[in-house]
Parts: sequence; C-alpha cells; structure tokens
Amino acid sequence: MRPSLFNTGIQYACYAAELGVVFFLGRRSRLRDEVWLAAYLAALLGVGIIRSYGLYSYGVNSIQYAYSYWLTDVVLALGAFLLVCALFRRACSRHSRLWATLRTMLVSVFALVAGVSFISLSKNYDHLFSMFIVEFQQNLYFACLVLNTLLYLLMAHLESTDEQLNWLVIGLGLQFSGPAANLAFMYLAHSQSHSGSLFSYLSPLCTLGMLSIWLYAVARVPSEVPERVSGELAVETAALRPLRAARPS
Amino acid sequence: MIMATLILVISTALFFFYIQVTCQKILRRKFDQEYAASIVNANRLEFPAVRKALEEFDAPVDYARLRMTLRCDFLALTYLLKNAGNLNQRYSHEERLLIMYGRALFFSLFLRHLLQLKEKPAVLKLAAVLQYFANIVGQRVNRVRFGNLAPSDYLLSL
Repeated sequence: MRPSLFNTGIQYACYAAELGVVFFLGRRSRLRDEVWLAAYLAALLGVGIIRSYGLYSYGVNSIQYAYSYWLTDVVLALGAFLLVCALFRRACSRHSRLWATLRTMLVSVFALVAGVSFISLSKNYDHLFSMFIVEFQQNLYFACLVLNTLLYLLMAHLESTDEQLNWLVIGLGLQFSGPAANLAFMYLAHSQSHSGSLFSYLSPLCTLGMLSIWLYAVARVPSEVPERVSGELAVETAALRPLRAARPS
Repeated sequence: MIMATLILVISTALFFFYIQVTCQKILRRKFDQEYAASIVNANRLEFPAVRKALEEFDAPVDYARLRMTLRCDFLALTYLLKNAGNLNQRYSHEERLLIMYGRALFFSLFLRHLLQLKEKPAVLKLAAVLQYFANIVGQRVNRVRFGNLAPSDYLLSL
C-alpha cells in the first residue's frame, strides 16, 4: 500500500465528497432521518484519519500501520453491514410484516458474522497478516454484497418508488463488489505485489464512486417522505382545517 | 480456492451490474421537453431510424453499416456535447460515465457479432445513450439561444 499522489488525491476527494454528503443532508434537515448514513460517513472519516496518522507516524511498512489498516477495514465492513440493515428497514417502511421477518433474519446473520469475526480474529491475532486477514475481509465484503443485492432485488419486487434509497443501494453495491473481487484476486494470487497494488487503487476508487453516487442522491434526488410521517401530517392538516375555517379572512 | 474463485466471479459480475444499473438510471432521466428531435434533424443523425427499424420491423442487421452509422452518430454527439452551448467546454461526470458506457457497448456489439449472438439489445442500449446525448445538447442549445428571454421577448428585442 504505497501512498502515491494518485492515492492522496483520491483520499482528499473522498473527504470532500463525505463532507458534501453531510452538508446536503444537513441542509435538507435529514441528518436525523439518515442517522445510519451519517454514522457510516463519520466512521469513514474517522478511519481515514486513523490510517493517515498510522501512515505518517509509523511508515508504510510498519506493523502498526498494517494493524490500523486492516482492523479499521473490519470495523468499516461491520459498519457497512449495519447500514445495509438500516436500508432494509427503510425499504420495508410500508411492509411491517415483511420487516418483522427480515429483522429476525438480519439480527441472526449479524450475530453470526460478528461471532465468527470475533472468534476467528482472536484465534488468529498472532498471525493476522498471513493470508488470513485477506480471506476474512473477502468473506465479510462478500456477505455485505450479497445482502445489498438482495435488498436491491427486494426493492424491485416491492416496486419501491424511493429513488434516493435506490441510488444509495447502488452506491453501496459498487463499494462492496470492487473490494470483494479484488480481495478474492489477492487471495488467489497469493498476495503478489501486482494484486496488492491493484487493491490500493481499486478500493479507494470504489469508495469515491460510492460517495459520488451518494452525493448525487442527497443533492439531486428528492427523498420520499415515509408513510408514517405523511400520515401524521395528514392528521395534523385535518385537525387544523376547522381552525382555519373559523379564522376571519 | 473454489470459494475465492466463486467470490471473484460473482463480485466482478455484480460490479459491472451495478455500473450498468447506474448508467441505466441516468438514462431514464426525464427532460421537460423532447430536445433530441431538432438536434437529430439538424445534424442528420441516423440512430432514431436504426432504432425504429429494429423495434418496429425487427429488420435484419447489416452489421458493418450499423456499426459505422452508430459510430458516426456517437462521435458527432460527443463532439457537440463538449462544444455546443457548453461554456466550460468540458464533459460533466455523468457524461464521462456514459461515454465510457457507450464505448463498452460498442465493444459488446463487436463481441456479440464475433460470437454470433443477437446484436439487437446492444444496439438499442446504444441508441438510448445517443438519444440522451442529443437531449442534453438540445437542452443546452435551447438555453443558450434565448437565455432568460421567452421566444417572443427575443423577437421583440430585435
């Protein structure tokens, strides 16, 4: 993972895109509604800062940087998993029974992924930087990719009209599929230098692609107001109608 | 080893799937009016005729002529996209992505011809890309010509 001008440029472009997404969420007063998205963005930003600190303090070939890089990647993958769960919930906002079933499934899958991650990481902590971490990350990203694709198919099946959610899911799909393919390639190529350098370019590019799509989604695409909120507004409007009628013109 | 190969194949396929979905979603954008027709007529572009022939009459495809026709339209429209009514003389991010998608579709058309598969789906997708470009160019030209003036205001100011 040798830092180059290209990588540094991509990194700063990612920071700018993250801030842009947060800015547009804040401007549309949607930070509270999109709390999981904001949390994931905060995690991305935090991870970027930790990695930069590790890189400049200890150097690219140090064990400290390697630990900070791969362990923060695990945190990001787990955060992405939670984000996918939150997007599932948003997609099922009008289908409470379906959500009840999916919630149980997602909780079980998350418990399984977190449990397996914890056990295998604690068992392999001493020889973390063999092919183990590559295989582990590859499986984690692939699990997220499969779940994300299931979400995309579910939205198509439910004929969802939430365009913003659709764009968010497509962005996440890019973010998961690129690194999953690349990690699998690294594993098959037994971590040879060309596969490693491909990873150092492809992974940030996929993150930038995802953030660009998200920026487009929050800045340009109108968000669909959930049914619950529109129902509350309808009740409020109905309650205010007699008052408005009684008000002298 | 088998698992990693499986993940590599599926993830790569899904990567391209998501890129294609992104492009298709951009192409589904609705314009406030049909701008493409004037650009097609003014520049004698042939892709609407090709699309009509394929969609309505399911005519047999003359590959060499079809490829040349679409290539010429693609080059003309990408040139206009950059130079006609574009103050920055630069492609936007969306346009760059769609230009790459168009090139990938040309490659897909070539592969389909080589493997003797049906060329119609790739041609229709290419026509959709060209239609989008024509709409964008038409919209820009329309905006630049009149600025904030309505056509009647423009005529009165002469």
